[in-house]
Amino acid sequence: MAMLKFQTVGRDSFFTKLDFRPKLLMIVVISIIAFVWENPIMVGALAILIIVSCLLVGVRWSYIRTILLIMLPFYIILLLTHGFFNVDQVKTILGVKELKPMVVIPDNWWLIGGGTITWEGFFYGITIIFKTLCLTLIIPLGIFTTEVDNMIVGMVRSKIPYKIAFIFSSTLRFFPLLFQEIQNIIEAQRLRGLAMEKMGPVKRVRVYSKVAIPLILGAMVKSQQLEVVLQSKAFSGDSDRTYIHQSILHRLDWILIAVFLLFFIVSLVLYVGFGIGKFFSPV
Amino acid sequence: MANKIAAIDNISYMYPRSEDFVLDRISLDIYAGEFLGLIGPTGAGKTTLCLALNGIVPQFYGGRFYGNIQIAGMDTLHHPISKLARYVGEVFEDPETQLVATSVQNEIAFAMENLKFDREEILARIPEVLAAVRLEGTEQKHPAELSGGQKQRLAIAAALAVQPDLMVLDEPTSQLDPVGAEEVFSTVRELNRHLGKTIVMVSHAAEEMAEFVDRLAFLSHGELIACGTPEEIYSDIELLTKNDLRPPQVASTFYLINQKTNRKIADVPVQLDKGKDEIVKIAKMAEFDLSSPLPDPKKYSNVPLFSVKDLKHVYPDGTEALHGISLDICEGEYVLIIGQNGAGKSTLVKHFLHLLSPTSGTVTVAGKDLEKYTVGDLARRIGYIAQNPDYQIFNATVEEEISFALKNLEFPAEIVKERTEHSLESMGLTQFRDRHPLSLPKGDRARVVIAAILAMQPEIIIFDEPTTGQDYRGARYILELSRQLHEMGKTVIVITHHLYLMPGYAERAIVMGKGTILMDGPIRDVYHRTELLGSTFLTPPQAVLLSQELGNLNGREYPFLTPEELSERVILKNREV
Repeated sequence: MAMLKFQTVGRDSFFTKLDFRPKLLMIVVISIIAFVWENPIMVGALAILIIVSCLLVGVRWSYIRTILLIMLPFYIILLLTHGFFNVDQVKTILGVKELKPMVVIPDNWWLIGGGTITWEGFFYGITIIFKTLCLTLIIPLGIFTTEVDNMIVGMVRSKIPYKIAFIFSSTLRFFPLLFQEIQNIIEAQRLRGLAMEKMGPVKRVRVYSKVAIPLILGAMVKSQQLEVVLQSKAFSGDSDRTYIHQSILHRLDWILIAVFLLFFIVSLVLYVGFGIGKFFSPV
Repeated sequence: MANKIAAIDNISYMYPRSEDFVLDRISLDIYAGEFLGLIGPTGAGKTTLCLALNGIVPQFYGGRFYGNIQIAGMDTLHHPISKLARYVGEVFEDPETQLVATSVQNEIAFAMENLKFDREEILARIPEVLAAVRLEGTEQKHPAELSGGQKQRLAIAAALAVQPDLMVLDEPTSQLDPVGAEEVFSTVRELNRHLGKTIVMVSHAAEEMAEFVDRLAFLSHGELIACGTPEEIYSDIELLTKNDLRPPQVASTFYLINQKTNRKIADVPVQLDKGKDEIVKIAKMAEFDLSSPLPDPKKYSNVPLFSVKDLKHVYPDGTEALHGISLDICEGEYVLIIGQNGAGKSTLVKHFLHLLSPTSGTVTVAGKDLEKYTVGDLARRIGYIAQNPDYQIFNATVEEEISFALKNLEFPAEIVKERTEHSLESMGLTQFRDRHPLSLPKGDRARVVIAAILAMQPEIIIFDEPTTGQDYRGARYILELSRQLHEMGKTVIVITHHLYLMPGYAERAIVMGKGTILMDGPIRDVYHRTELLGSTFLTPPQAVLLSQELGNLNGREYPFLTPEELSERVILKNREV
């Protein structure tokens, strides 16, 4: 039953009571700002603010930790590649001729001997990590605090075509069924003598690829059935329809919309006009 | 009769890229307030006709369409489907794919939203239709939290909410257990009788159709071959048999009695109550010979192949699915396991396959604890055939499919070849060896899966709901295969809700309910424990109920299971037979 519902936060907060539109605006504004800003301290502060907000509104720490664990290998690669190799770009951004060494590997080390990790490259890598954290965690902050119904009406009111909103809700409806079918197929394969527990990773991947045949064919049959069902329910994909769920902007929603728009404009003005938000190396 | 809701005038239809008419010159009127049943074997054109009633055929599918259908005065060719959906509500077979929303409330609202009903109107209608299908209080539930019967009732509620002139239900009970099917039939009957809804319903459940519908339209190979009251259609046993359709058992019973006595000593009723009245008449003029023995189960060794001792299983969410059950299954037996969804049948079978481990208690196969085997090891001894063969097909050719398990189990190449050939031959699949299994018809796909299981030469074969979603011919075909396997010396275990199909195949029946074994014995004894079966919502075949009625009249026990057994023993009192 855990798969039935899209992950929603377990408690009410002022955030769960908001309309989806200010949240959608928040997602867009924060994503753009995180993309634009390159100042490691400012992007870091934004990332920490988002993580704290997630925890305050009830997004589970286990979820955030899972994301961090999944991303950890990429973060290590980011730090190493930027630290070692991002030299020319960082020099150009900072307008300097030399970068400060952080770690110098002796020349006689095999293969990596002579390499240098620079402070500027390292901090640029840190900035990129914070950017990805902002982009990754702003979505659950907006999505997990909203009921699917309100999200769909909010999307339509924000002029997102109803077809896209419907695809989104259908995915949530049918994902558990797809997951169950995968389980059934793997179970059927085990009952035909496939000992997964004795297999190496390569052979396992080959086995999983065989799941695709019945799964895709089953999905094609189901999608045609679904089309017929939708036709019989007068579905046309047109946004011009009525909705039982309302999307009403209250004063708090308007305030937040104003705050995010103001934040967006001020950030861009400060960035373009005064260079606030541009990359610098604290060391 | 009342006003015409739908007029089907000489329609013929051919799907795109097809050369055969799936509907062939059909004319039929549907009247306000009537309950019309559509019957016919698989491929008769029933679903296509249902889809033609709201314009999906041909507007969505394309193809060649002749004639016309008028619904509420609108030609289905010239009005968009979205407009016709206001007048025709459709309910489909699969409870899963026809629910598209993420809550019960949204599901009911969906069509009304598309048809631009006012929000207040939608909110007012939701509790009304939920009450009509007895699903009050479920508004916020996710459809996946409902049982199969509840899902179909939700689909009916969603169709009902737009207040269509006509409701079309295409095999809404075929995927359901008896409780779910009963829920749906009683809901549809109430809608028809109390709310006056016009219903068109497709179903293979002959006994229920005979009970509930006003009129039957009988389709075969796309043609409307008969139309009339259930009495007129279901009493024409020869016509039904010729077209691979099963009559209600009560009709078969009296038809066979008339055949046996070479005269019409009784009418051929199609409803059980009328059958009971008729049996009173017959009891006055005839006797039933009990001197010739009825077929009894064979005797088997007492050495169990499967032995279950005090098996208890608790799922991670705390649900106790099995409460300490014990049973033995001996080599060569043919065992039927029956019970409602949630009775524990699947949990028990998953222990046989070691897909689940006991919370306490033991399960042994040939004296060895199943915990010592992996699932793969057990595959050599136990073949499992699931309800949907398509989930068990993974390979690009029939031959590869059959050899798939043998290769997994690392048999030498010559044994793989030899057994694959043998399985292909014994299941009559040699000519299809290079075909993709999924390009074969459903019945043949089931044969491919059975052949693949047989190649492993298992001692035990488990069929899990093999007859669900099959018409009578398809169900019989699979059961005949199970009989062949039994005759080859295999131990066969079948799980099914279709009790009427199993006499003549199963010898022993185990009734499960709420995680316990309610009864375990010869099928003849179990089927005649009608009160016990009723307590777990299982309905015995009508031949059993008629035999019991006869027994009540004569003060004797008549342990008949089938119309054939009952009719073969009738002797007229004046000894003319």
